[in-house]
Amino acid sequence: MFPEAAMPMPPHANMPDPAAFAEPALLRVENLSIGFAGTAANVVDSVSFSIAAGKTLCLVGESGCGKSVTSLAIMGLLPPKSTRIPSGRAEFDGRDLLHLPRAELETIRGDRLAMIFQEPMTSLNPSFTVGDQIAEAVRRHRKVSHEAARERALEMFRRVRIPSPEQRLREYPYQLSGGMRQRVMIAMALANDPQLLIADEPTTALDVTIQAQILELMRELQRETGTSMLLITHDLGVVAETADMVAVMYAGHIVESGPVEAIFRDPQHPYTIGLMGSMPSLGARTGRLATIRGSVPPPQAMPAGCRFSTRCPFADDRCRREVPPFVLGADGHGAACFKAPLEIHIEGKAG
Amino acid sequence: MTAEAPILETRDIVKHFGGGTGLAAGPLVHAVDPISLSVNRGETFAIVGESGCGKSTLARLLLRLIEPTSGQVYYEGQDLTALTPTQMRKLRAEMQFIFQDPFSSLNPRMKVRTLVEEPLLVHTRLSARERRTRVDELLRQVGLRPEYADRYPHEFSGGQRQRIGIARALASGPKLLIGDEPVSALDVSVRAQIINLLDELKGAFGLTLVIISHDLAVIRHMSDRVAVMYLGQIVETAPVESLFERPLHPYTQALIQAIPVPAPGARDPGDRKLRGDIPSPVAPPPGCRFHTRCPHAVEICHQKEPFLEAAGEGRFVACHRWSELPHRGLTGKVGAALTPGAERRFALYRERSAADAGGSP
Repeated sequence: MFPEAAMPMPPHANMPDPAAFAEPALLRVENLSIGFAGTAANVVDSVSFSIAAGKTLCLVGESGCGKSVTSLAIMGLLPPKSTRIPSGRAEFDGRDLLHLPRAELETIRGDRLAMIFQEPMTSLNPSFTVGDQIAEAVRRHRKVSHEAARERALEMFRRVRIPSPEQRLREYPYQLSGGMRQRVMIAMALANDPQLLIADEPTTALDVTIQAQILELMRELQRETGTSMLLITHDLGVVAETADMVAVMYAGHIVESGPVEAIFRDPQHPYTIGLMGSMPSLGARTGRLATIRGSVPPPQAMPAGCRFSTRCPFADDRCRREVPPFVLGADGHGAACFKAPLEIHIEGKAG
Repeated sequence: MTAEAPILETRDIVKHFGGGTGLAAGPLVHAVDPISLSVNRGETFAIVGESGCGKSTLARLLLRLIEPTSGQVYYEGQDLTALTPTQMRKLRAEMQFIFQDPFSSLNPRMKVRTLVEEPLLVHTRLSARERRTRVDELLRQVGLRPEYADRYPHEFSGGQRQRIGIARALASGPKLLIGDEPVSALDVSVRAQIINLLDELKGAFGLTLVIISHDLAVIRHMSDRVAVMYLGQIVETAPVESLFERPLHPYTQALIQAIPVPAPGARDPGDRKLRGDIPSPVAPPPGCRFHTRCPHAVEICHQKEPFLEAAGEGRFVACHRWSELPHRGLTGKVGAALTPGAERRFALYRERSAADAGGSP
């Protein structure tokens, strides 16, 4: 905790954020670093991104890349005793969420800023009816009567297309299926018309036909309400179907970000390319899948240079020594790699 | 492949849970209800379905890890359900199981060497030294260094643990491997390593694979034939290409159309007509079990249960209306159209990673 304070900032701090030059941002995260007690390396390191009003940003990456920790930090949900935030701002609606007094944060949270999690069963209280829980969420932030809050809950149930909503309101979480519970979570999150919804793997625990329903519902609701969304997922299919902007995370860094079309059609970073190549295609079979060798380095053994260098087939001495800066292109698409674009750096040398 | 007798076959196999009386009273769950299938030698046969469809129960029945309520399972022509425990134990050397969760399926108190050696002790008469050599060899075959043999499971990542599980399954020299969601718990990049490994091993050892999965992309990539399950029954079986190109059963169509495609704008918003939840296997709907969610259901579907019928090209489907319905498969793109630069990058990535790995990491 104390020695880090004296350490110099990494040279790649302050990645520019692509959405910045398009529209004014609703949420602007700058240079966010997060560490856990007991490990020197930050689990999230100098991460910057922003989300414009009404848009969806997908944070995509594999387990341990820091995508969930990033969202928890924004919501102020990290345990303060075991985490440190050595640098960063998360500006939302003109206020820095990371340095807000507790009381003020609690007024924003669940109101202007809402969150849904992967497992709706553990996020709902098992001993209250779902109707009571939504009504409570409304009354926590609005001075309304019980009846009005109940009425709002019913209205929300209709909006998330829960069949026989009057009856469902009186049920307990265990009486609902996984898909219904996630609808309840969405209804609760949207009950106070938040400006930003953070969704952490909202469909991962669901079956594919139910996932399709929930993704469609989230898209429709976003069209109706204009809520911005920060969607955290490991599934590139979900990214392609929901995102306006994408940020790819690896081992606590954003290695590539940009508009969704650019990320899928013109990926730059070897990690993004490896990740896409490892996905089995739904088209005709193509033989062996591309793989990314090895696994993610643990925080206590984080490489000094590019964090992907231990697994990258193109890494050289420089990659292992220096952290590559994030280079942003004119189209808002950028990557943090010395070798990007590969066809010029690698082929040029080989040929 | 067709003339030869199947390596594995079930006849009207049924598994119900619960339904006891008195103290054991509980609802009767129709987990598998009834199923007949056959798996050809050397193929990869996939069973796909959503949670609660009975696919894991079926996988366990295939190896007689649980006893069926009725019906038979034939392995190489022998009725497994009629074997004595001793006979069954002998046969287990030839048929092995790979579990979904590499974290809970390995004993945390055993070293890797002991874990992989255990099946050798049970099924072979190798000496201690021979077993040692064999364990080293098995670890190498699954892409692990033999030096790791003296470590405990918790010292390994999820992917490495799944490799240990596979080494253990291979130790007895099986002909048939059944994997229950063998790659579902793994991250995308690690999942690809294990999928490639299973493909290699299948070729190297002449294995027959049965893969249980909910992930249609994994199934598309790995399997030769697919059975689609819904609420304890098989609704369609087909060779993998024709299943994806021209799914006959409305449920198969819905499943395929529900997969999120990794290409922005690829999905037609008109897809995905499927509404509602999967009904409970405690009270499966009468008639066709899918009729409560089927966009094409008519009167007969509510009343009469459809049975699997031949639909040509080695396909079978259980639907009253399959021949009159449109067979919408994967529509539109299945991947993003890459820029020429990106095409080169993917090719370079493949070349380079194949060159410096020289196989598994």
